[in-house]
Amino acid sequence: MGYVRNALATWVLSFAAALVAVPALGAEAGSGLKWAGDFGPPQGAPIHAVLTSPPEVPPATNRFYPAKVIVDLEVIEKQMQISEGVSYTFWTFGGTVPGSFIRVRQGDTVEFHLKNNPANKMPHNIDLHGVTGPGGGAASSFTAPGHESQFTFKALNEGIYVYHCATAPVGMHVANGMYGLILVEPPQGLPKVDHEYYVMQGDFYTSGKYREKGAQAFDMEKAIDERPTYVLFNGAEGSLTGDRAITARTNETVRLFIGNGGPNLVSSFHVIGAIFDRVRNEGGSEIQTNVQTTLIPAGGAASVEFRTKVPGSYVMVDHSIFRAFNKGALAILKVAGEEDKSIYSGKELDSVYLGDRSQPNMNAVSKATAAAAGGRLTLKDQVDAGRDLFAGTCSVCHQGNGEGLSGVFPPLAKSDYLAAQPRRAIDIALHGLNGKVTVNGTEYNSVMPPMNQLNDDEIANILTYVLNSWGNPGGSILTEDVRKVRAGGTTAGGSEH
Amino acid sequence: MHACRRKALPALLLGLLLGAGSAVVQAADYVPVPAGSLRSVLVSDADPGPVAVASYAMRATPVTRAEYAAFLAAQPQWQRETAPLVFASPGYLAHWGAAADAGASASLTAPVTEVSWFAAKAFCASEGGRLPSWVEWEYAAAADATRADARDDPAWLARILGWYGRPADGPLPAVGGAANFYGVHDLHGVVWEWVDDFNALLVDADSRAGDDPDRLKFCGAGAISFKDRANYAVLMRIALLSSLKAADSTSSLGFRCVRAEGATP
Amino acid sequence: MMHLPLPTLPRRFAVRAACHRALLLLCLGVAGLAGAAGPLPSDSIYHLDLPLHDQDGRAFTLASGQGRPQLVSMFYTSCQFVCPRLIDTVRDVQRALPADSARQLHVLLVTLDPARDDSAALRGVAAQRHLDARTWTLARSDSAGTRALAALLGVQYRILPSGDINHSTVLILLDRQGRVVAQSTRLGVPDPAFVARVASTVAAAD
Repeated sequence: MGYVRNALATWVLSFAAALVAVPALGAEAGSGLKWAGDFGPPQGAPIHAVLTSPPEVPPATNRFYPAKVIVDLEVIEKQMQISEGVSYTFWTFGGTVPGSFIRVRQGDTVEFHLKNNPANKMPHNIDLHGVTGPGGGAASSFTAPGHESQFTFKALNEGIYVYHCATAPVGMHVANGMYGLILVEPPQGLPKVDHEYYVMQGDFYTSGKYREKGAQAFDMEKAIDERPTYVLFNGAEGSLTGDRAITARTNETVRLFIGNGGPNLVSSFHVIGAIFDRVRNEGGSEIQTNVQTTLIPAGGAASVEFRTKVPGSYVMVDHSIFRAFNKGALAILKVAGEEDKSIYSGKELDSVYLGDRSQPNMNAVSKATAAAAGGRLTLKDQVDAGRDLFAGTCSVCHQGNGEGLSGVFPPLAKSDYLAAQPRRAIDIALHGLNGKVTVNGTEYNSVMPPMNQLNDDEIANILTYVLNSWGNPGGSILTEDVRKVRAGGTTAGGSEH
Repeated sequence: MHACRRKALPALLLGLLLGAGSAVVQAADYVPVPAGSLRSVLVSDADPGPVAVASYAMRATPVTRAEYAAFLAAQPQWQRETAPLVFASPGYLAHWGAAADAGASASLTAPVTEVSWFAAKAFCASEGGRLPSWVEWEYAAAADATRADARDDPAWLARILGWYGRPADGPLPAVGGAANFYGVHDLHGVVWEWVDDFNALLVDADSRAGDDPDRLKFCGAGAISFKDRANYAVLMRIALLSSLKAADSTSSLGFRCVRAEGATP
Repeated sequence: MMHLPLPTLPRRFAVRAACHRALLLLCLGVAGLAGAAGPLPSDSIYHLDLPLHDQDGRAFTLASGQGRPQLVSMFYTSCQFVCPRLIDTVRDVQRALPADSARQLHVLLVTLDPARDDSAALRGVAAQRHLDARTWTLARSDSAGTRALAALLGVQYRILPSGDINHSTVLILLDRQGRVVAQSTRLGVPDPAFVARVASTVAAAD
């Protein structure tokens, strides 16, 4: 007698999450088996679950008793935009990718109705990771187009759980967008926050290249090889950017329910510029604090919470970073409100930084060097060479326009400090400057390092450029002047023309 | 009254066909499919080799709405109003009224859908045929225009996948796409089709259960396993059929008939 | 064991059936099409015109089961494992009923293997398992009839080259008009809910 070999055994891509409930510790002997999370039979009138489309999350149940909750979820196969000008036939739970968000309370008895729209081609089912039972409901919900299946489960475990279609080929149904989240609230509910949002990552495999226009078909080979064309939050490029970005105000609490439908990739979920105050994976007992990047496995989920402190746009990414910038895994949380410069200054600086001697165009410098060697150096040669050198070295602090940054880096433009003693600049360039100086009426107290990587020629040219720019008095510093100062002499007087 | 009007529409459609119609409904064209063997996507441990396929004649096209309307006129027990639910669950011919309203002649040459297995069987019997077995269907459908078995050609696969990638929200096209090697049309890319042994496909409702020794659902050795990962496109057809009961129908599911080679109704 | 997902069907059937009758009268003025042997409900499996032969070779039809509740299932005689357990399970159901009810409940087992299970083979099983011919009928149809009955009952089966038959097993309770009132895929200790339904259906048929 051979035992049964399963029909689609070679298509097993994931195992049913048949969660085994753990008996409650301290269950009284003789009172029968008691399961954690079972608060007895449903009470009150049956409740129809409020389902929401991403990125919205249904309101808290605000309930303190176990109820019978009826969930009506319809499978809809439909063409939608996956990227600008690119359409794709998605298979959806509730008409969106990810599917409708379901929210119940631990101990609830969930009567699940899965409807397969009559216009659909394919049979579908649902495996909810929040179900305790073989297949997570999959076998009980296998439904032909134009049919409806019903099954009931008790939500014994609280946490945030993925659901997905498990009809063969499972990977294809998932890759076409058939996943979503179900939140099983703990009996006492979740702590109140100002905003809850629903974001779910998935990888997509299209016959055409990334952003290739037109209707794109599913590509099984790419899916098997795990080479996604798109990695997306909420099923489309741009689903959470621009006008569709999720929003908050400063000093608010935000809870993101982050799921990963896969089918293949594990997500390194990160919000650029935010540190998660609390991360809870699945329904876990460990709450992680101060998390920069959290791993969301395919077929897994987490809730992350943080308080918004500084306004601006926060970019959510899969920090496997090519996915973010080359495959679409980008979303934005826009935080409005008053700035708090004590926490974050905003942009204080914007300049070209080329690194030491990494200037792209040193022609002018070479020319000046040659001219000096041949005794033909003109003021213009010096200024031209100095301009290029300044851009690579000095403008980082003093800015390209010589105006510095108020209160931080003193200005060189129309600088009374410079004009008073132009040759003092040679000493400063060679040895740096520490301590208070007053420039054009403003006091500065910063540190300028010695520019000892520059040779005498270069310093002479830079200073000549500065003296002849931005309303400064003009004049020329020669290589010889610098050499003398470096040799130990201090400068006195100028050689202004 | 609205309901009555809707229910009466198939009868109107019949009148239209029978009056206008001998040009529309002709004797069905069956083409011979010679005997051979098939490396079926359905293989089991007990049954791993190629399957021998005897010769048969297959309808060149799926049964059209016009042909089905003529059948309903001749056998009114299969009309939507009279067919017992046990043979035709709700959804049977559900959109016929609307289609007749549209009155587009193209729709009459489109494949009939929303037909149950029992109704499809009765139709085939009415023209001296039967539903094909899965293997007969798969054997004919392995062909492309020039080869009996084109399944290794990515173009063959792409055609199937192209259909899967299109949502089924528009009207169905008329039958009569390109003929395959045998002269059979539209095996791929238009509709699913009933097979006689649709309930022999033994696909678990949860495809991932794997080898579960505790399972007593199926008696006997070795159910189906899927041999080759390129077969998934065909496997999806099996998944659809296995999701259905014999009284069910869907808007993408039609049928065609076969009969013994040389037979006439 | 898995249960077949059928829970919403009976209600829909009932609604549709009522609607049908009304429409027939209103729109077409036609009545009495439901069958010669009295008005069968639209969801009765007795609409299937299925000739059968029992273990003694006597011809009868599926629809002759009308008038009393019946347990129906499909099996085959050379089946070594599940099918004997099916008979055991039916026996356990009978034992769980009051004696009167058990006598009134007819059991019809139709073979999936008409090519090999002739009347003699069926008679052999009936004798070997001491099946009381007053309540048990083992029957066969032809190949097409077997496929159709299986389709009607939601039984999946596939004949393998070895002669084994790969099949699903379901025990179906029909009311006196041939409507499916309950079904069970549980073998071994019978599902108590199913047994209760059998008891109440038999009682209601009195």
